[in-house]
Amino acid sequence: MTALTTDTPSTTTHSPAELREKKDRRRAIALLSPGLLWMTLFMVLPMAMVIYVSFWTQTTFSVNSTLTTASWERFLSSATYLGAIWTTLRIWLIVLIATIVVGYPVALFIGLFVRNKTLQTALLVACVIPFWTSFLIRVIAWRPMLGTEGAINMILMKLGIISEPLTFLLFSEFSVLVGMTQIYCVFMVGPITFMLGRIDISVIEAARDLGASFGTIFRRIILPLSLPGVMVGSIFVSVMVLGEFATAASLSGRKTNLLGNIIVSQVGSLKWAFAAVAGVVLTIIITAVIALALRLVDLRKEM
Amino acid sequence: MLTLNQVSRRYGGATALDGVDFVVPENTYMALLGASGAGKTTLLRLIAGFEEPDQGTISLHGERIDGQPSHLRDIGFVFQNFALFPHLTVAENVAFGLRHRAHAPLTNETEIKDRTEAALELVGLTGFGHRGVSAISGGQRQRVALARTLVCEPRIVLLDEPLGALDANLRSRMCDELKAIRERLGVSFLHVTGSETEALTMGDQVAVLANGRIMQSDAPDMLFSHPGNAEAARHLNAWNIFDASLCNHDLGQGPIAVRFDQIDVSDPGAAPTERPALHATYLTGEFNGPTALSFFRAADGTLLQVVDHLSQPRLPDLVEGQGYDLHFAADALRQFHGAA
Repeated sequence: MTALTTDTPSTTTHSPAELREKKDRRRAIALLSPGLLWMTLFMVLPMAMVIYVSFWTQTTFSVNSTLTTASWERFLSSATYLGAIWTTLRIWLIVLIATIVVGYPVALFIGLFVRNKTLQTALLVACVIPFWTSFLIRVIAWRPMLGTEGAINMILMKLGIISEPLTFLLFSEFSVLVGMTQIYCVFMVGPITFMLGRIDISVIEAARDLGASFGTIFRRIILPLSLPGVMVGSIFVSVMVLGEFATAASLSGRKTNLLGNIIVSQVGSLKWAFAAVAGVVLTIIITAVIALALRLVDLRKEM
Repeated sequence: MLTLNQVSRRYGGATALDGVDFVVPENTYMALLGASGAGKTTLLRLIAGFEEPDQGTISLHGERIDGQPSHLRDIGFVFQNFALFPHLTVAENVAFGLRHRAHAPLTNETEIKDRTEAALELVGLTGFGHRGVSAISGGQRQRVALARTLVCEPRIVLLDEPLGALDANLRSRMCDELKAIRERLGVSFLHVTGSETEALTMGDQVAVLANGRIMQSDAPDMLFSHPGNAEAARHLNAWNIFDASLCNHDLGQGPIAVRFDQIDVSDPGAAPTERPALHATYLTGEFNGPTALSFFRAADGTLLQVVDHLSQPRLPDLVEGQGYDLHFAADALRQFHGAA
């Protein structure tokens, strides 16, 4: 192409198709460049830096750039840190399932049974209302709810269902799970509602007309058609839960250590190399989870 | 035999159906003609059970079906937009009813496959089974929707403007095929349409739905030549309906109807005296190929149309804005009593 233009200089006039193509290409580059620049500066470069730092030499109060695998060896041989990976994965999986179990019926109601678009939007907005307060308040609000002298224990005692307060409710893995499910549920409801809302109601009526009961219609039509929404919601929830540290820090009573909590505490004690190792491990886990999710449902086909 | 008895359906203050009495006999192609918004789709939805009537009863073969859950009614419904299952292949779409119906589902895969293939063959889609429903044309989707319904051998098939989404060529071909398929199966079809040509072509019987009621249900030629009331005549798009007092002869009171092709045009005063005539102003003409349509405005503002067949032209040269006498044979007019 370039050779051709140099061989026949200036006198050649480009065909309109060529000009259009050139213009389109210029526009594409113009649209892409801010994003690409941002990603390079604030994601690719820092990521490379984190990987680089994870091989630095860590002494008690400082790091230097002598390359070593010491931090990796320590991380991978420590039961505490491997345990943190396991805890992170376990909590992620339970929260993911909980958000689906709680979120899907809500989405089913809003997306399929409410056919009025205005009401649909109003209900979705209602789901987001908790986000009008800050993250911290939402998390800490669980304390007076779940504590030994909290609302739930008080009610259960008043009703005579229990004689002494349940202690597992707060400052336990349970409270972390409850807190996370509450916070992230809406990210599951949104995408599923969107997919369900796109199902043509006459498709469901057709299935009914062909003799299928509601259970069968749900299993054969509604569920498969909403799966991409579940998958997008799962990706949202996964990315946020896997990187979580604040909920665990404020509701677990330091009993639950996620990879995120380890990064926070290592950075707090200036162990940069070690924090970098945990960061790289976390990134690998998140990448693997997203890759798996995208494998399960071909989003390009479904959207 | 499908029987509707005094069926009414209201949406808030609006009445969609107002005491419909309607019978679809056995082994009949019944066309239901109505303007958009006349309640045609509502009628079908009540029969299929997607909605329930506010009043009245619906029965099939003498057994009352209103109040029954729609998936147990054993009635086929072909949707205007086809409503195919987008995530399933053509064959899976067709097999859906056989495999997943609550009542007597088939479990034998060979039988399912055989019946699916037979249904696809019936609608001329042999070999399309493995395709995705988004990878076939509109006409083919229409056939899949039909095959999907017919494979379950429903007691009656309801078609909601089944040709509406197809282009004109395809429409006339599907018309013939629908008729042929129905005759082969011997099951009744209730085909809803807004097009009078479609209704007259397809139906062994044609019913006109207007103002929430069945205005007339008759054989197509009978309906066309002898509409029983002004509403029925209006839907056929072939009748001028005007007030009898416009004519010079004493034709009584109320609306009368004369077919577009049975009106002749003369210069003022030149109409034969034995024929009833009325004065009207020529507005404009419309050339449609084999026919030409001329529009006139009568003294009270009624719009009148006259069809002229080019092979046998009978109209004089018309000048826009000029008055003419429109006259017709006394026995060509239909007189309605009491109807709107």
